[in-house]
Amino acid sequence: MARGDAEFVEFARAASARLVHAAFLMTGDHHQAEDAAQTALVRTYASWSRVRDDDAYGYARRILVNHLVDGWRRPIREYPTEEIPEQRRDDVADEVATRRWLTAILGALSPRERAIVVLRYYFDLPEAQVARELAISVGTVKSTSSRALGKLRANGPRAADNQEACR
Amino acid sequence: MSELDRLRHAMRVTERGGAPLDLDAVMREGRRLRTRRRVAGAGAAVLTAGLAAVVVVAAVGPGGPSTVERPPPVAAVPTSPVPTAPTPPAGGTPTTLGTPRPTLPPEAERTASPLGQVIDSGIRHGVDQRVYYMVRVSVPGEPRVTIGLAAGRRAPDGTLTTDVLVNDVDGADRSPGFHQVGYDEGGSAAPVPAFGYFVGPAQRITGTVDGRQVTARLARWSDDKQVVIFWFDPADLTPGDRLDGIIARDGDGRRL
Repeated sequence: MARGDAEFVEFARAASARLVHAAFLMTGDHHQAEDAAQTALVRTYASWSRVRDDDAYGYARRILVNHLVDGWRRPIREYPTEEIPEQRRDDVADEVATRRWLTAILGALSPRERAIVVLRYYFDLPEAQVARELAISVGTVKSTSSRALGKLRANGPRAADNQEACR
Repeated sequence: MSELDRLRHAMRVTERGGAPLDLDAVMREGRRLRTRRRVAGAGAAVLTAGLAAVVVVAAVGPGGPSTVERPPPVAAVPTSPVPTAPTPPAGGTPTTLGTPRPTLPPEAERTASPLGQVIDSGIRHGVDQRVYYMVRVSVPGEPRVTIGLAAGRRAPDGTLTTDVLVNDVDGADRSPGFHQVGYDEGGSAAPVPAFGYFVGPAQRITGTVDGRQVTARLARWSDDKQVVIFWFDPADLTPGDRLDGIIARDGDGRRL
């Protein structure tokens, strides 16, 4: 394997789980998330010679987000039922409950709000960078983020109740 | 724990390890995409030669000769028709993409002064400014093509060095929509950020490259406010990288 390919494999192994999870947070669909992460890695690999010495992870993230943003223009789909992960851990019940809470919270947001929430609070990007990556103004990032957090506060107790009811 | 803290926590703890991505398939598809881009790039170069002229006018290296002209903002009509009338390099050989280009007569050289105001992009190459400006061109049999857009550098003493010139070679240079986009061709002493112009009420111009969007900086041409000159910051779009697509939107966000 060429040196560049070995570097890419190492990069992809380190980055793929986070990319898939970010895509899942934005879409709520595991299959779509895996497809989106795969697309981002394909395009990153296609440009690897150019991006390998730069911010390869940021490059892959931007491709992922833009790929999903393009999907906003497609017809709205049903929010899928969350799958329960096949894990045997003591805290599996907590994780399932957290996942359900998260699914309920994010499900109440619009696609743009979800994208901004994921970029701001999962990737911890500053507002200006979120604005650049989504090609929107910083003001739009602030207002949308504020609206999303408002929904989060409004829906939090109800989602928590649902979470308790699920236990 | 606040709702926001709880959200952050939830987003992190629900991350699953060992994502089942097929890296062999990723690399296989990546190689195919790379090949398609190369083929598409070659095809686009041929197509460009048929649609428009892109002329690298300052093929100079460090210490090499450069095209220098004082920039009085006055236009003059070329005294004889030429395929294009950019400023050729002093002592250098103009490079044309795709097709050979006839030598310019001396009159044409003298008339290639900036039309209207020279636009400072805010990009710096050492002490030089990256600037864009319109110049008068003349294309045989195409009376409605009279302007071309040049990417150049302005030295502290005001002298201009033209790096790349783009202009239409048919149709009308003021027809609504996008005209030729110029890219760095590797022949300039400084990298040339991608640039071009759009005719119409564009308030926002966005390009797409490798699936990501890049937003252009805009400036209206002083001689015709319908002409919107745009360029991409090198931090957003590496000079020489080709756009996959480009769109313009008006003030209400409508696509033009």
